[in-house]
Amino acid sequence: MIGLVLRRLLASIPTLLAVILLSFVLMRFAPGSPFDGERPLDPETRAALDAAYGLDQPIPVQLGRYLLHLAHGDFGPSLVYRDFTVTDLIHSGLPVSLTIGGLALISALGGGIMFGLMAVLRPDGPLDRGLMLSMTLLTALPTFVTGPVLALVFALWLGWLPVAGWAAGAPRYLVLPVLALALPSMGAVAKLTRAGLAQVMEQDHIRAARARGKTGWRLISHHALRPALLPVVSYAGPAAAGLLTGAVVIETVFALPGLGRYVVQGALNRDYPLVLGVVTLYAALIILFNLLADILYGWLDPRVRG
Amino acid sequence: MNRLRLALPAGLVGLVLLAAWLLPSLLPWDYRVIDWDHVSAPAATPGHVLGTDSVGRDLLSRTLVGTRITMMVAIAAAFVSLIIGVLWGAIAGWCGGKVDALMMRIVDALYALPFMFVVILLMVVFGRSILLVFIGIGAVEWLTMARVVRGQMLALRHRPFILAAEAAGAKAGFIVFRHALPNMAAVILAYLLLTVPQVVMVESFLSFLGLGVQEPMTSLGILVKEGADDMDVYPIALLVPGGVLVTLVVCLTVLGERLRDRWAA
Repeated sequence: MIGLVLRRLLASIPTLLAVILLSFVLMRFAPGSPFDGERPLDPETRAALDAAYGLDQPIPVQLGRYLLHLAHGDFGPSLVYRDFTVTDLIHSGLPVSLTIGGLALISALGGGIMFGLMAVLRPDGPLDRGLMLSMTLLTALPTFVTGPVLALVFALWLGWLPVAGWAAGAPRYLVLPVLALALPSMGAVAKLTRAGLAQVMEQDHIRAARARGKTGWRLISHHALRPALLPVVSYAGPAAAGLLTGAVVIETVFALPGLGRYVVQGALNRDYPLVLGVVTLYAALIILFNLLADILYGWLDPRVRG
Repeated sequence: MNRLRLALPAGLVGLVLLAAWLLPSLLPWDYRVIDWDHVSAPAATPGHVLGTDSVGRDLLSRTLVGTRITMMVAIAAAFVSLIIGVLWGAIAGWCGGKVDALMMRIVDALYALPFMFVVILLMVVFGRSILLVFIGIGAVEWLTMARVVRGQMLALRHRPFILAAEAAGAKAGFIVFRHALPNMAAVILAYLLLTVPQVVMVESFLSFLGLGVQEPMTSLGILVKEGADDMDVYPIALLVPGGVLVTLVVCLTVLGERLRDRWAA
């Protein structure tokens, strides 16, 4: 197991380097500069700024320096938010994004597995068909439509919840963003659970358990659920990644002080270290989530431990 | 019943597309023109069936034109992804062995990238050209297509008719394009259909963030963004474009999944 984890971590280094290289080169090819303001700077100030941030060096040198600093855990200074380092901004934004994303992942898994179970109890019954149709609809819902619509209905019309804002993570402020973010993944999880269970229910060990008189809920929870959840587990890694990306929109819609908006703002402002830092961090998180999902998979399915 | 399961989503998509292409020229107000007498007009104002937005532009006409642009971007991007994905998958599946292993390793590695961020960066780099928007989107949406085509190609590679063509001295490119690819056309078409709603989502996502299609052109993503900004006074501006977007994405996804299940089984 430890060998597998180490091997996967080693294999992720090239992927991470590729992400950094790609983002670095793309950002530098973009026209414009972080120091373009309303008034053009005089050339001397401009040259001094470029020199201070090392932007006057050739690109390979800049890249080398960046990687060297990164290896020491230093994401560099933000070029636009002048008094902050990228690490400061990540420290303030990451907890918000992780809270929203984590809660959305938990709701998606919990709700999805529950709906999948409800559907499979009476296969092809009206509840099954109705649930699966609504879950298909859920998977196709874009968060930037559901977010504003949920805010419109539950905040503006019904007045039950606040429209937007963070308020230091007060639960009332979390409900709508988490729900909007979780719905599409919840649909996918429900469909996977339903399909996985339906497949497992045909297998010999279930027939054997039935022959021993086990039925209904006990049959599912003790014998069918564990193998049936394998597809859900392999989906959880990519889903976590999708939730992180989806958080970019949700943070914009609900005016949350998360990390996602720094990607968009930073890219528009040409704040190179900020964008690079956030993209690198997200890439590392995505690799980590996929690894965790694989470890969990190995724990649930002894056949792949090898 | 079975026929209806395909006909219903197909019919809805067809209806929306037909309206988006034919109706705008019949409406009294162009999607860019400001009606100074009716700014923020409610629905059912004379001349404006759905009313106007906060600068006095006809909402129905904007929604229809936005749908058209979103769909054009989506179809073009799906086409780009089709070309890259089919070529990549066909070459990997045909060559097999080390070439296949390497090409699929690359696909696996690309799957692990935070793609939305790469797209955002691409949009920033290549400025605001709509052409590059869809090339950029197509360039990141081809991975699934490559996997599917490669799987199909591996399955076909040692079938008698392919071997016979090889034995008859046909060139590899000829066999791939004239024998192998037509054989999997149905599967490719189903996955192409599934790519379209995904691209619609990416385009709307980018436009929503202000990185995709730019004013004065419009798209469903821009309209949803505008509607979300004014939703306290004018909810219909959010609900109509949002509804069209969701309808399109849902119908195309359902259509693609059902055709895939039917053809790929």
